Amino acid sequence: MNRLSGGMIDRNQTIHFTFNGKRYQGHPGDTLASALLANGVQLVGRSFKYHRPRGIVAAGSEEPNALVTLREGARAEPNTRATMAELYDGLVARSQNHVGPLNFDLLAVNDLLSPFFAAGFYYKTFMWPRAFWEKLYEPAIRRAAGLGELSELPDPDAYDRGYLHADLLVIGAGPAGLAAALAAGRAGAKVILADEDFRLGGRLLAESDLLDGAPATEWIEAVKAELESLPNVRILTRTVIFGVYDHGIYGAVERVSDHLPTPGGAVRQTLWRIVAKRAVLAAGATERHIPFADNDRPGIMLAGAMRAYANRWATGPGTSAPVAIFTNNDDGHRTALDLMARGVPVAAVIDARRGVERQGDYRLLPEAEVVGTQGRLGLHSITVRTSRGSDTLQVGALGVAGGWNPNVHLASHHRGRPVWDERSLAFVPGQGGPGGLIPAGACGGKGSTAEALADGLRAATEALAELGLTAPALPLPQAEARQDNTAPIWHVPGKRRAWVDFQNDVTVKDIALAHKENMRPVEHLKRWTTLGMATDQGKTANVTALAVMAELTGKTIPQTGTTIFRPPYTGVSMGVLGGGDTGAHFRPRRLTPTHHWAKANGATFVEVGPWMRAQYFVRPGETHWRHSVDREVLAVRAGVGLCDVTTLGKVDVQGADATLFLDRLYANAMASLKVGMVRYGLMLREDGSAYDDGTCARLAEDHYVVTTTTANAGPVYRNMEFARQCLWPELDVQLISTTDAWAQIAVAGPKSRELLSRLVDGFDLSNEAFPFMACAPLTICGGLRARLFRISFSGELAYELAVPARYGHALMARLMEAGADLGATPYGTEALGVLRIEKGHAAGAELNGQTTGQMIGLGKMVSSKKDAIGNIMSRREGLAAEKRLLVGLQPVNATDTVVPGSHLFAQGAPRDLAHDQGWITSAAYSPHVGSSIGLAFLEDGANRMGEVIAAANPLQGSEVAVRVVPSHFVDPEGGRLRA
Amino acid sequence: MLIPHPLLGLRDAQEFTYLGDARLIDRPTSGNEAELAEYVYLRDNPAGVHRELWFHEQGDRSWLVVTRNTLTHEILGAELARDVSLARKGATA
Amino acid sequence: MPDLSPLCALGAATPRRVTHGALTLTETPECGLASLALRRDTPPPALDLPGPGRWQAADGLTLIWTGPGQWLVELPGAAETDVAATLVKKVPGASITEQTDGWVLIEIASSAGAAPIERFLERAANIDQARFGPGSATRSPIEHLGTYVLRRAEDRLGIWGMRSAAESLWHALDTIAGRLDSRG
Repeated sequence: MNRLSGGMIDRNQTIHFTFNGKRYQGHPGDTLASALLANGVQLVGRSFKYHRPRGIVAAGSEEPNALVTLREGARAEPNTRATMAELYDGLVARSQNHVGPLNFDLLAVNDLLSPFFAAGFYYKTFMWPRAFWEKLYEPAIRRAAGLGELSELPDPDAYDRGYLHADLLVIGAGPAGLAAALAAGRAGAKVILADEDFRLGGRLLAESDLLDGAPATEWIEAVKAELESLPNVRILTRTVIFGVYDHGIYGAVERVSDHLPTPGGAVRQTLWRIVAKRAVLAAGATERHIPFADNDRPGIMLAGAMRAYANRWATGPGTSAPVAIFTNNDDGHRTALDLMARGVPVAAVIDARRGVERQGDYRLLPEAEVVGTQGRLGLHSITVRTSRGSDTLQVGALGVAGGWNPNVHLASHHRGRPVWDERSLAFVPGQGGPGGLIPAGACGGKGSTAEALADGLRAATEALAELGLTAPALPLPQAEARQDNTAPIWHVPGKRRAWVDFQNDVTVKDIALAHKENMRPVEHLKRWTTLGMATDQGKTANVTALAVMAELTGKTIPQTGTTIFRPPYTGVSMGVLGGGDTGAHFRPRRLTPTHHWAKANGATFVEVGPWMRAQYFVRPGETHWRHSVDREVLAVRAGVGLCDVTTLGKVDVQGADATLFLDRLYANAMASLKVGMVRYGLMLREDGSAYDDGTCARLAEDHYVVTTTTANAGPVYRNMEFARQCLWPELDVQLISTTDAWAQIAVAGPKSRELLSRLVDGFDLSNEAFPFMACAPLTICGGLRARLFRISFSGELAYELAVPARYGHALMARLMEAGADLGATPYGTEALGVLRIEKGHAAGAELNGQTTGQMIGLGKMVSSKKDAIGNIMSRREGLAAEKRLLVGLQPVNATDTVVPGSHLFAQGAPRDLAHDQGWITSAAYSPHVGSSIGLAFLEDGANRMGEVIAAANPLQGSEVAVRVVPSHFVDPEGGRLRA
Repeated sequence: MLIPHPLLGLRDAQEFTYLGDARLIDRPTSGNEAELAEYVYLRDNPAGVHRELWFHEQGDRSWLVVTRNTLTHEILGAELARDVSLARKGATA
Repeated sequence: MPDLSPLCALGAATPRRVTHGALTLTETPECGLASLALRRDTPPPALDLPGPGRWQAADGLTLIWTGPGQWLVELPGAAETDVAATLVKKVPGASITEQTDGWVLIEIASSAGAAPIERFLERAANIDQARFGPGSATRSPIEHLGTYVLRRAEDRLGIWGMRSAAESLWHALDTIAGRLDSRG
């Protein structure tokens, strides 16, 4: 262990972890990265394309290199940034993207082949032959290039989501964010302070500077204590704000349990949707590096990160050898001073600028550049070119300080365009961008602590004023106010490769190649080279790449411009975006009132939208679903069957103008419907196409219940409200859905009246008293309120009986019990479908949005006497001339199967589009007919009864000869349902 | 997005179902086929300020006329569609 | 009395109840429910009708604003009675529809004041709690299910959900409460 003094780790506790199987020690407060460095581990992974040995570069979420697979088994998470992984006892991590051991990666051969992997290599190399891409090239590339691998096991952890509302969201808890949160908190605003780190303080934690003459932690702890005491302030640590959405909505992920071995019963992460009236963006800045030859060796880090490791985590850069700093600004010198103060030997500060002076007791090489590095698995020396020539320094690590880029990402969502600030040589947030978001501190270009504190207070004051609140006087601590004096030195030219984007292995040469190949606009540059893609989104690379491209084109950096910024700011796991539940509870389901009865009685269920419906009921001895379905169909035709039809939408319509309203809604006449009667109703879309069908029951002069199909219950209700509120608000109509309130059971078959007579409380069920299409309120089973409708979907004598939903289960059981001697049989949706096909009733397959009332044989129903929705457009020339009609089909050879979806052709006609005469909508095996039957829309169907035509199923290369018959296979005269 | 509901204040757009051009309120009553064809099929699709219908399906079931800039998503106002419709009918009566 | 036995929305003969830490969830089948909508000619009702976003107790009933001119009315303990008939007497000339069986009521009570309720609610629904004190009621989706959420008191919520989706709603609420308890 090469721990330095001080730091924010708990030395009283030692915790253990393993990396690539080897055991190490660390302390609470460590990240995996800091603990690895403290254990002298510099080599942590292999690069994306070339499999170059790589080490830790940064100390925060911008880390491009140190991606590890954290945890094991189903919990293994690839591409975890070691810099963001909090150390816990028992942590297990592995390096990625190598074949064989990390220090002897067989795929390092790619590095020798690097000329073949230059920018755009995918597009150039693997073009021919085309068929090779999928089978050969892509799998090979995927094996050779890439990041971590998924476990391919189900994620055992839970995630959830939540919603927060605030007056002010403060993003980032560094000096600017803390000042802003404190001011707003004291002003009484509802504040959320979010930071991706597990500790408040931001960059202050990485610095040695004093606040009011004391360590910064004292001020941070005092502010934290006060914020925690305020009921109007909520602190979210380990929480990244990953995106800004319209009207002040922010997406955030809180890593609730990622710092624990397992989440226990809690969630692993929470997705927060935060609605904030205003936000202060205090996201800080990210240091950039300076590309030079072979600048990617383990041990070469960002200087500011090296300083953070020394100050916060009490570790050097993973080596006991001396350290050098390469800088183009004063901030690099601060790193040297801090390292020395902690006892890390500094070999030299190499400053590319001219006329600079030493700020402490170290060797300064002014006007000098690093031009080469040596060390296969870790840095052991660098070559420096000065005005006096070349020199080699033996160093174990090199800190590179290229200036700071404000974290403008969130301010640049919504197409906000950052602007170039010549003073700090960086992009700062510009005009446009998300409304209500105020940048402050280093992310606004105010990088010194004193500036950041003041700017945070300024931003909060501005936000509070817009919220109608007054900012309190807030004395800010005395702090450093140095400027970096960064020089525009972007890279060190040379012949060898100099990396710009470590994660994607993009070098200065690749950018030069993109330039040569005319991929010069930044969006092209990005896609041609893959610069700025993948998990780090080029946080340490993008601006440097722009500068290199600007140099090549002779344009300025602002002229070169930036790519569009989009969410997420850092990677977000799919698990947390999915949130909530997986498996059976992935989406809510609706159960019918007889669900539990059906389950106990052998039902197989089918999903119908959100509903679970009984599909058929298997009895002992039945080995194929057709056995059950045929039995259920025959039971209805011969005796009595019971089917839960609760799922049909039910809308209660009341009001003085209810009749007029419904007459305008249905294509057929409703005004003439008498109280106590039901009418079949057809609804059209305004364009004249058939939309939905159902029944309309008139319970009183001013009270109706209408039913919709199961699938359209929601949309029809929405359209009814549209008609009520938008089209005819002058009508006195009230609507309310009652779908769930009533358990509705179809009692169908010749013995249905007999069965019902055993349940009703003295109600006269005779044909005279209660004819076909009658409806009435009544009581059953000794006083239970119920509604009875004499309607039929099967063509048999049939009723639908509705009772309060809580009695649905008991009613089903009672009907079965009371009808045992009548052969009462429960039937499911399959039998329901067979029965309606046999009867020629249209359903969803016929009402598919492309058909008209005329096509389903209901053209005469569409009233020409009134203006109902869709009636006028249904008489348009094109629709009125429609000659396709719903017909029945029977196979000529009774053992053939009619296949829905088949297209119809006259015998002998070519099987092509020009000769297509229609299609089969529904088909089933009919136990009544004794063969497969179908319903179809057939050209000129009315005049083709008896004709034999071909039903072609080109998907399966099959064809069946079918005879055209009327669509009513059962009781075409309708005598049974009126019996 | 947040929709400024005239009765309930700011509500998340996820609670709403979008329909489109608010001109759908003006359903022709003439019975003229050509007029209805225009009503059904011809809509403006402006890049800019647009009056459009939103249904508060997961809320109070009000249809709203929302004035929104389709380029910026800025919302300039929201009214109950019922009020808009009644006002138009009153104006033409 | 009918000689049939009712089932609770969650599928059992008796209501379900669970406690996670400070929060107790209780299925409450005995509360009657009806919808009330005023007609053009409805005489001004004697009841005090709450405005948008509010609920109010009056005359043994709880009225919940659901939309312009529309309310849901809770009739505590009256599930087995003809709630529509009862309400017609109180508000003659209005459109009234029995809704007791259309919905399931889940009451959520905290034994530790408002905080557990607030933490529960922020995970359940997108509701600005600064504007959702006692007396507030709103329709809000919970796990894709339409619900009415009532802040009955600082430490109590009532949630009405579709009866057919009672199992899914219970699962969602139970899961939230359980996870909050695990997180401590």
